[in-house]
Amino acid sequence: MQKKAKKERLIWLDIMITLFTLELMSYFYYGVRSVILACVCVGTAAFAEFVSLRLMKRKFTADDLTGTSDALILALMFPAVMDLDIAAIATVFSIVAAKNVFGGRINMIFSPAAAGYIFVLTSWSRKLLQYTEPHIKTGVFEEPAVLVNSASHQFNMTGDLKISNFELLLGNFSGPSGSVSVLLLVVAAVVLMFRKSISAGAFIGVISGTGFFSVVTPMSASRMESLKGSLVMNMVLFAAVYIVSDVRIAPKRAYYAFFYGLFIGVISYVLVLTGAKENAVIIVSVLFTPVALGFKNLEKRIDLALEESFSAENNDTGKAVPLREEAAAGE
Amino acid sequence: MNNRKKNLLDGVLGGNIVLSGLMVISPVIICGDNLKNAEALIYAFSAITFLSVLICSFVPKKLPYAAKVIIYAIISSLVYIPVKLAAQEFYPESIARIGMYYPLLAVNSLIVFQTEAKFFRMKRAEMAVSLIFYILGFDLVMLLTGFLRELFAYGTINSKIVDVNTLISGLSQPFGGFIFLGLMCGAYRAIRAAVSKKEAGRDTDVSDK
Amino acid sequence: MFLINELIALLAANLILSQALGTSTIFIAAGSRKNLVATAGVITIFTTVGAAAAYLIDSLMPSDISDLRLLFYTLVVGALYVLLLTVAFFVSGSFFEGFRKYIHVSAFNCAVMGTLFTINTRASEQGPSFGFGNYIAGGFEAGIGFILASLILTAAYKKLNSSKVPAAFRGFPAMLVYLGIISMAVYSLK
Repeated sequence: MQKKAKKERLIWLDIMITLFTLELMSYFYYGVRSVILACVCVGTAAFAEFVSLRLMKRKFTADDLTGTSDALILALMFPAVMDLDIAAIATVFSIVAAKNVFGGRINMIFSPAAAGYIFVLTSWSRKLLQYTEPHIKTGVFEEPAVLVNSASHQFNMTGDLKISNFELLLGNFSGPSGSVSVLLLVVAAVVLMFRKSISAGAFIGVISGTGFFSVVTPMSASRMESLKGSLVMNMVLFAAVYIVSDVRIAPKRAYYAFFYGLFIGVISYVLVLTGAKENAVIIVSVLFTPVALGFKNLEKRIDLALEESFSAENNDTGKAVPLREEAAAGE
Repeated sequence: MNNRKKNLLDGVLGGNIVLSGLMVISPVIICGDNLKNAEALIYAFSAITFLSVLICSFVPKKLPYAAKVIIYAIISSLVYIPVKLAAQEFYPESIARIGMYYPLLAVNSLIVFQTEAKFFRMKRAEMAVSLIFYILGFDLVMLLTGFLRELFAYGTINSKIVDVNTLISGLSQPFGGFIFLGLMCGAYRAIRAAVSKKEAGRDTDVSDK
Repeated sequence: MFLINELIALLAANLILSQALGTSTIFIAAGSRKNLVATAGVITIFTTVGAAAAYLIDSLMPSDISDLRLLFYTLVVGALYVLLLTVAFFVSGSFFEGFRKYIHVSAFNCAVMGTLFTINTRASEQGPSFGFGNYIAGGFEAGIGFILASLILTAAYKKLNSSKVPAAFRGFPAMLVYLGIISMAVYSLK
């Protein structure tokens, strides 16, 4: 139990470190407003967690601060100029309705960040999908002067990615404040996979599914452009690291996780291709929650069957030993 | 006497058909997004249910279960006609507001199933009083749901604009109804458990004295 | 690819996720595999055969007595209810004992009646081109939608009823919130 708790804390720490680097990048592009947004989300999450745990008559421990990582993920999916009250409401929804109603971190069903994002998408879609250009810093209480569509929207509509590779790597294009720095995301993915803090199977599944279909049925004139765009745009990389590969949600066994990720990648690509649905991977990841749960149920049954056969073997071995010992003693 | 009183009042709080019995939830989820819809639903549900259950109480009890269920459904389908005609005359906007859920209210599980399980085991006078309280229970839930969802989704109360800073338009949608009702059920259960615990503690104190 | 879009359309038009019809019944269906198969199967029979009968009623009924539609639908569902019970009785006694509760639960509920009225609304919007085949397809689609929603709930059923869920939310309240979040995701696809 202690080992499990320690592992959970290390995973949370790893995730938070990578999220902090993304937040730093967001601060570089959008200024203190994005940091305030992140602080509001994290603070609200901690408060909501505290209040809901008290109402559930559970002790608030340091482990319950894992909700702050979900809040930071949510903040990084928002535009840097998102209204603070909407961010706070979305965070409360994520922590309370999408997580603690089902029992909190000990009984996770949905990715709280993904559920919170979709909540904002359905209630405040205009505010969610309009961004400021990078390097335009808006004051904390200022209204943004000019809002533009994201580069993902442009790519979905036209299939063209009018951004240089260098700018793509650094995330110097309009989009969610923390989910565009491709280089940082790739590094984060590699580090987290090696440290087993995310599900490698699920991550590879999403990337494979999206990549394969983007080459087979390209969105752009060139297959390479389509592959590049499909992986970099629409928060695919970000969601692959922090939402789909969340070890609390994804199936434990690598091959189940791979197929889980693969189907999410494929279906979200199809939605982007046929309906120009921005950030479809987040929506599909929530819709695939029953599939993840189904896989987990299957894994439990397999584990149970293995345990039973193992204990049956042990029992047989147990019966054999006394007879041999008796025979040896007799001799 | 206290137990009898408790049984009669059960329908409002302890045994609320929506929050406790999870019956008739579709209209609450879909149509309960503003007060005017809630009022229309309250009229339709109250009239149809009260009249249908009263008439159904005269159906012979010795008939097979399946036959009784069909007869109850037919009776409520017939009661629906004059209720709707009266609505067309005096409350025409309610029909457009509720739409398909108007006729669906006529075959709600309170009429078709709960009558057998609960009401028809009581004497007719007691049944009528208990039924009124069950209907009141639904009405209260409907009003509360309509009020809160309208306030936070549209920023209005009974179509009058109120100063609400941030509106959550998702609350007006079916998914908002699902989540809102789920949270309301949970809150209701928590309050009911707390009240029962308090009453149990009080009863124990009394018996100890 | 079109299969995926069809599946999304099926989810979007799902009578539980978008219209909250049959929510109480689905809670029963999700309880176990046996409940799921039996309830979903019976509901599909009711919606499909009921839709066929609804076509006859809608085509023969004059528009000035449309208030009687509910009565005729009720009579059709009632007849089907009796028919299914009779068939189950004649299959075997034990089958009848085990199966009749699913027929009782599935007959007069919002899922079946709601489907008939939804198809009727669709037919009035689309006019004479909405024929018998469309009615049957609509009824069958509603049944499949119910099965899909039941599967979605069955996957999470154990978790939603686990002791780890706070007592106040354990069971139905958590199921409602769960269905709400899935419904929210489906809505965001529109």
